[in-house]
Amino acid sequence: MGSTANAKVVALPLPGGRVDPKPVEAMTSSIPEGPAPEAPVTNALSEAAGVIEPAPEIVPTISLGDIAQVLLKQFTRERIISAVLALISVGTLFMIWYLGTKYRFEFYIRFKNVPTPAEVYQQAMQVGLSNAFLVNIGYSVRRILIGFFIAIAIGVPLGLMIGKYQRARDLFMPVVEILRPIPAIAWVPLAIMLWPNNEAAIVFITFIGAFFPILLNTIHGVRSLDGVLVRAGRCLGANEAQLFWNVILPGSMPHIFTGLAVGMGVAWVSLIAAEMISGQFGVGYFTWEAYSLVNYPAIMLGMITIGVLGLACSGIIRMIGVLLMPWLAFAPGGKR
Amino acid sequence: MTMAMAATETHKGFIDVRDMGVIFGANDSQVIAVENVSLNVQPGEFVSLIGPSGCGKSTLLSIVAGFVKPTRGEATLDGKAITKPGSDRGVVFQQYSLFPWLSVRKNVEFGLKMAGVEQSKRNTTARALLDLAGLLSFENHYPDQLSGGMKQRIGIVRALATSPQVLLMDEPFGALDTQTRVVMQEILTNIWQQFKISVLFITHDIEESIFLSDRIYVMTARPGRIKAEIKVPLPRPRRAEMTDTPEFMSLVQELKGLIREESLAAMGPEIKDRGLSGFGMKVGPKGVGEIF
Repeated sequence: MGSTANAKVVALPLPGGRVDPKPVEAMTSSIPEGPAPEAPVTNALSEAAGVIEPAPEIVPTISLGDIAQVLLKQFTRERIISAVLALISVGTLFMIWYLGTKYRFEFYIRFKNVPTPAEVYQQAMQVGLSNAFLVNIGYSVRRILIGFFIAIAIGVPLGLMIGKYQRARDLFMPVVEILRPIPAIAWVPLAIMLWPNNEAAIVFITFIGAFFPILLNTIHGVRSLDGVLVRAGRCLGANEAQLFWNVILPGSMPHIFTGLAVGMGVAWVSLIAAEMISGQFGVGYFTWEAYSLVNYPAIMLGMITIGVLGLACSGIIRMIGVLLMPWLAFAPGGKR
Repeated sequence: MTMAMAATETHKGFIDVRDMGVIFGANDSQVIAVENVSLNVQPGEFVSLIGPSGCGKSTLLSIVAGFVKPTRGEATLDGKAITKPGSDRGVVFQQYSLFPWLSVRKNVEFGLKMAGVEQSKRNTTARALLDLAGLLSFENHYPDQLSGGMKQRIGIVRALATSPQVLLMDEPFGALDTQTRVVMQEILTNIWQQFKISVLFITHDIEESIFLSDRIYVMTARPGRIKAEIKVPLPRPRRAEMTDTPEFMSLVQELKGLIREESLAAMGPEIKDRGLSGFGMKVGPKGVGEIF
């Protein structure tokens, strides 16, 4: 497994192929890529000629103009205040770290051995460019993506079924209720026994972490869907399959995305724990190895890396959610 | 009369409800919602069903829509028994029932899309209907960006998009303010005359039922039965000014008398007795003060 690591990290195999392997880049680049490129042209046409002649034309619901507007709206007073407060909160955390390590604060909490920001920065510069560190990140991201997409592929359809059909609920919920309270970390020993290699075991544990939040939120989404919408769909001639695809799935989408965001968070927690216990490679493994080798700056670097990767992953999910569900901006109660 | 003309033209949209009985619950918790109801809507006719809340008028509509199966009797549309919901019956609900994730136009297109109509044809139909509802300029808006009156207008044309035989409306203007209601009623009569479609309209608003209908069924309090059937001889097209005419007023009086008795009955025996004797509450010589 170890010897092929370098090759693997260059082209990360991504099931579904929807999310960019470099999360931070994807956050910025996915904005213009989202809608159809011809959007503004057709939209302008419809506005100019639409009212006069009801000619058939395809008008995309999400146009570039809409997205530009959404982006412009980001620079409101509220947003600026939020950004300043965010800066203060992150800044305070950093200052506590900086001052605590600078003056070697020691009163019950001991900053004696905690590396300073400068040391961590040096470590990052030294390690950050090294191939080994990137390999670790690549491994972690790949495990997250595989586990997460399997969790979506199983959790969402199963959740839709359980939410919709009483019989499916009766059949699956007892198992779900038994397995749900078991934290993903508690699966580690069994996973190592079950799966042929460590890699599969770690992906499995990541899957377990993401699966339950996705499943339960999907169920909740279906159950909280306004019954009148389902009835309206039936009256308009939708058969069972059409109802699932055109009413139940889009109607549950906001809750599904809540599940994805929570699931992604839990997936990271589970992944890091699994990597620390049984891993070879991965950011969790890197962090634990640093502790074993008494390389304290590397511990901090590992932690910060985990934080940033987790943040980037939830950011991507939120971004996809906004692009897929522009209507939520107008839903009662404002933005989610 | 347009109604008779429509009937001879198409002979479609004939709703017949016979000896209908609906019982909810089982064993000791049984509730008789509807009992022994027979009613019909002739092709092209506008019929209202009016009664106190909880009298089972919405249940009747649910049966015709195909959501609820009756315990006894049957409902037919053009001679065919109604067993499940279908696009031959357009339904407009009291709650706003537009799909919030679809644009206004996609909402109107929904029924056609389910029927497999191609995109360009759907688009043309939806735009024509939105034009009729006076909402073409809102076609790319989402429902949550619109007012209640706008949403219900879209709800109506969405139900009409699949060219149903009948339109079933369950207190569609119940959530709107009085002024909007009146305008919506005029819009609805206008649309109805253009489509020559049969309508079964549920309401508890007496003026609304008279203004819109050719015929009105008055229902009793639970268990719901048909108490009276009243023809509305007012000419078409109906205009807002008609509500001030003596003919309209006398119909209102007649219906008010019929409904009041049932509304009191719906509130329970105590209120019924008091209401019939003019709500004269006798607490004692000291009046209400004695209670405290």
